[in-house]
Amino acid sequence: MIKRILLFAVGATLAADVSAQQKPLDFAHQIAPILKKHCVECHGGDNAKGGFSLNTRELFLEDDMATPGKPGESHFLELIASTDPDAQMPPKGKPRVSAEQITLLKAWIKAGMKWDAGFTFATKKYEPPLHPRRPELPPVVEGRANPVDRIIDAYFAENLQPRPAAIGDAAFLRRVHLDLVGLLPTPQELNEFLADRAPNKRAKMIGALLADELRYTEHWLTFWNDLLRNDYGGTGFITGGRKQVSGWLYQSLIDNKPYDQMVHELIAPPTPASRGYIDGIKWRGEVSAGQTIEIQFAQSVAQSFLGINMKCASCHDSFIDRWKLSEAYGLAAIYSSRPLDIHRCDKPTGETAQASWLFPELGQVDAKAAPAERLSQLAGLMTHPENGRFSRTIVNRLWAQLMGRGIVHPLDAMQTEPWNEDLLDYLAIHLQDNAYDLKSVLALIVNSQAYQSKVETLSQDADVSGYVFAGPRAKRMTAEQFVDSLWQLTDSAPTSFDAPVSRGNVDPAEVAKTKLSAEWIWGDSANGGVPAAGEQLAFYTTFKIDKPVQSAGAVVTCDNEFALNVNSRELAKGTVWTQLGAVTLTTALKQGENSIVILGKNAGDTPNLAGLYFEARINFADGESLTIKSDSSWQFASKFPAKSPVRRWRLAEMKWQPVTVVPAIDAWKNAIDPVASEQLVRASRGSALMVRASLLKSDFLMRSLGRPNRDQIVSSRPNDLTTLEAIDLSNNATVAQALARGGQRLADQDNVNTDKLINVLFQSTLTRDPLTGERAALAELFGKNATAQAIEDALWALCMTPEFMLIR
Amino acid sequence: MTFKHDPDTPDHIVRRDFVKQLAAAGAASLLASEPRSLTAAEHGFEQPEATADSCILIWMGGGMAAPDTFDPKRYSPFKEGLEISSMLSTFPAIDTAVDNIKICEGLENIGQVMDRATLIRSAVQPDLGSILHSRHQYHWHTGYVPPQTVACPHLGAWMAKVLGPKNPVIPPFINIGQRLEGVGEKEELKSFTTAGFFGSEFGPMNLPFPEQASQSVQPPKGMTAGRFSNRHKLFQELVKSGPLKERASDYQQESMVRSLENAYRLLSSKDREAFDIELEPKESREKYDTGRFGRGCLLAKRLVESGARFVEVTTEYVPFLHWDTHNSGHDTVARMHSEMDRPIAQLVLDLEASGLLDRTLVIIASEFSRDALIEGRPGSKANDQATFKVDKITEKKHYGLHRHFTGGTSVVMFGGGVKKGFLYGKTADERPLIAVENPVSVTDIHATIMTAMGISPKTAYDIEGRPFYVTPDGKGKPVMDIFG
Repeated sequence: MIKRILLFAVGATLAADVSAQQKPLDFAHQIAPILKKHCVECHGGDNAKGGFSLNTRELFLEDDMATPGKPGESHFLELIASTDPDAQMPPKGKPRVSAEQITLLKAWIKAGMKWDAGFTFATKKYEPPLHPRRPELPPVVEGRANPVDRIIDAYFAENLQPRPAAIGDAAFLRRVHLDLVGLLPTPQELNEFLADRAPNKRAKMIGALLADELRYTEHWLTFWNDLLRNDYGGTGFITGGRKQVSGWLYQSLIDNKPYDQMVHELIAPPTPASRGYIDGIKWRGEVSAGQTIEIQFAQSVAQSFLGINMKCASCHDSFIDRWKLSEAYGLAAIYSSRPLDIHRCDKPTGETAQASWLFPELGQVDAKAAPAERLSQLAGLMTHPENGRFSRTIVNRLWAQLMGRGIVHPLDAMQTEPWNEDLLDYLAIHLQDNAYDLKSVLALIVNSQAYQSKVETLSQDADVSGYVFAGPRAKRMTAEQFVDSLWQLTDSAPTSFDAPVSRGNVDPAEVAKTKLSAEWIWGDSANGGVPAAGEQLAFYTTFKIDKPVQSAGAVVTCDNEFALNVNSRELAKGTVWTQLGAVTLTTALKQGENSIVILGKNAGDTPNLAGLYFEARINFADGESLTIKSDSSWQFASKFPAKSPVRRWRLAEMKWQPVTVVPAIDAWKNAIDPVASEQLVRASRGSALMVRASLLKSDFLMRSLGRPNRDQIVSSRPNDLTTLEAIDLSNNATVAQALARGGQRLADQDNVNTDKLINVLFQSTLTRDPLTGERAALAELFGKNATAQAIEDALWALCMTPEFMLIR
Repeated sequence: MTFKHDPDTPDHIVRRDFVKQLAAAGAASLLASEPRSLTAAEHGFEQPEATADSCILIWMGGGMAAPDTFDPKRYSPFKEGLEISSMLSTFPAIDTAVDNIKICEGLENIGQVMDRATLIRSAVQPDLGSILHSRHQYHWHTGYVPPQTVACPHLGAWMAKVLGPKNPVIPPFINIGQRLEGVGEKEELKSFTTAGFFGSEFGPMNLPFPEQASQSVQPPKGMTAGRFSNRHKLFQELVKSGPLKERASDYQQESMVRSLENAYRLLSSKDREAFDIELEPKESREKYDTGRFGRGCLLAKRLVESGARFVEVTTEYVPFLHWDTHNSGHDTVARMHSEMDRPIAQLVLDLEASGLLDRTLVIIASEFSRDALIEGRPGSKANDQATFKVDKITEKKHYGLHRHFTGGTSVVMFGGGVKKGFLYGKTADERPLIAVENPVSVTDIHATIMTAMGISPKTAYDIEGRPFYVTPDGKGKPVMDIFG
């Protein structure tokens, strides 16, 4: 027999239902149906016989008809159990509520009468407004002048809801870093921020982070890729049935392109660069009528930009909202370059779709115009200043990103009533007032006290009787944030990435004055002869660094292959000699003696020309710089332990000889000269920042941590950590290797006592100093001299804490 | 080690009670975007009584030719100048343990256990314009033709979601033998190897290499048990002494800690031995070890013995490899025979010996069949996928069934309540080899499997405000004739 350890019971239906009697009742499936069957006809919807309606929990509670927790004091239970023909409910002649059902109802009352958020038996009345609205701002209370706070303070007052407590500087710094640029603040950033006495230091920090184009872009790329279902690999690419908008999107974020312009360019692409979004995913073979690229267009545009679920209506008139089949097809026909036969549930209706859009109040597309013109008209209508649905949808998404839950929830059901209309409308009008500047909305929200307050403590049945704003909600780090954090903590980010983008901006003036002077070098075989095919050599040089480095980078290539090691750590490899590798060296360098070892390999079947090319630029904090380049001062070895990593080599004991300088042939010059200056500046300045997970194709770890296959539009990621994910975090090789590297790196640092090390660990992971108990736990593990393994384990334990994984 | 469920609450009883308790779900499901069960008496059905508690899907990825496996037709041996139009099977038929069932030479061991099997010879697939592996695999595994507007759950995820784990320690959905990285069409494979909108808790535990499976449930490489345990204690200590302790009731925080505790328990429990095929006696290992697939079958056996709910084990789909026989079909299939014959037969015998076969549904299936001449089926608009075509065989590499065929495919089921030594459906004896008796659609195959597992084909969850059924529109009809 096996021990019955409750493992996969989490969220698993059957295991949970084995003990269903002890479990909380499921209102929607166990209670609502009973009420609907026996009570709602007379006491729900528009009817309230005898003045009693149970449309909402609040109404149900009136007149002591029900008292949560007290079945004995719940009058309705007496009525349904009564055998008095004049008093009984349902009245004489109607089927009675069964004994089993009464037991359930009693249990439900006893357990607190839980009611699903927003659930009502009332006929739905809410119709979302279309036009923008400028709400009147309530008066400023206690100097809290941010418009968001003026609205929310009034909301708190009205709902007799206490304000959540404000957060301290450290918590603010961590939250705002992760929310705006997706990275943890470093201990240095933390200490500088804490030391800053400026009263407006939070606003300054927000401004600085939003102005950090590169880090901002590479964080928000994840959000936009999800929303536009853009990725660097995935279904459809294999047959060319799908195109990326990555380059366009990246540059749009760098430029902080106004949102209306972004959407205009997505719907009516001015160049092929932003075309991938509307062209969707074209599958080989036949697809159902509800999934042609034209219908995908209708679904995508409606969901991404309007929060409308057009999936139902693209098959039949929707049962859940007001959209009709003809409207879904009308939208699709705007895109379509062929007559579009309307299909109901995959069967043609005989009608042809007429190009039209969803809100003719704002104007209509000309069905007779050419497709490109129709798209342009649609883009104009979508971004029309009177289209408040458009601005509300995006600000609601941004609010949810920052605050953990939308003002309208779910995010893709914008027909739902917001919990605060003024707030939603104000944010939307703020976006429009600021020329659709997305950063202006982010700045408005994160500068508010509402954002800078403690997260809500959630119970499992949060929201059962309706959502009430009680502060931000903690968000789980996205897969990308977690992986970025891990890389940052352990210095193990990859050196290359998949996104077809040019990272960061370089200063053209600096490029213009950067002239490379490296020479091509090889071993003896190039001295008057031709190197043998497959010859492998190791090249070696050393240099000293005696002042603080601000940034450093190098370019390198080898005809035919190379592997670059700095201080015995492999940083880059290249197998295509025509591609000049650009490598950031900043974190690989150290004070004192540094070494460079490059393995070079010649290819081919017969002897042929070979050469290695390397140049590094080290920018010191004092403004000076140092160049290290391949030239006659380098040495080479033809015998070396090729099978073991460079860090195991005994460099001093190897037989080194002077290199031969090889005159550069035209092919080499042509491959390198046009790009070398810019690449070197980029490597040594522009992207001294590590490669980000958002720039990579999804991998096993990221998928496990919730990065979606971007076949469908995704507007929110899962917030829970599942058991399978926890298994991966506990034993995944990539995670383990990164942690081991991080442990080794910290252990290698000189002059770090245990106390200081513990501080660094806490500051870099949790952005705070350890509490007494926490310090004691790590101190016990570390002893006098922390081993690399012990640090590695401490890093793992810290990264697994909910405090780390949650943005809170 | 054998997992037995608590005799006081057999699975099907538990499930029946559960369904009863669920009662009707009249109210449309509300605001939450989480999928909600719509299983309900009000929807006019009851969950069937399960005849199986576990399911093993033996997946012949790439298109297993029925005429060269379970549905032999007229045999034409290789010879130069052989007219392709006269070639139906490239293997002769052999007798099996059942009088009226013959299968192909090379499957002798399976032949000996056909008296435990129901053989469906009349499974059919739609043509979908192009008969592409990835689309048909998606269809077969989710019940839905791609693309779809929501991410569809794999059938293993349905079982994980509706039934939950059988042994709480063993993940309910385990996928053996298929790499999802470094192979062609990997993105297409990933798109159905998922729990889709159910969320990753119900998703697959992927074990592409059976011999490395034990590593998936072990501490990281190089970490001793003692260190692993200390590391976990440190984690607990940090959670306990950190500033969040006053928020210990926070649901989100609590559930994260619980998931990590669960992971630790599996990674340090005895149950993880089920993942280690090295612990199997040598003699038993040898019976299975025809290669990676055979070892996968052995792993599947161990996992089911330990209480796994759903296990898929595959010969692996890699474009143009294994069952994807676009040339040298005969030789490739001969190799596939030798890879599959012993382990599948042994799996059936071992499950029988441990008493588990009666409650374990073992299925052998593939996305479609193959033919030497006809692509799709007569009259279909399917694009021809064949890379080269010859009328007469001049070389050995031409000999084999090289075209995708959707008109008649074999599905074999063992155990789990299906009839023994039973033949269902029939294909024509002359080309086109289409199902001529009792054709069974993918939807109905799904309905049959789900019914055996005690899941009504009408079972649905609400997602994005619409019902999503385990078989499209809840319309799958189980083939009740095959149940004993």
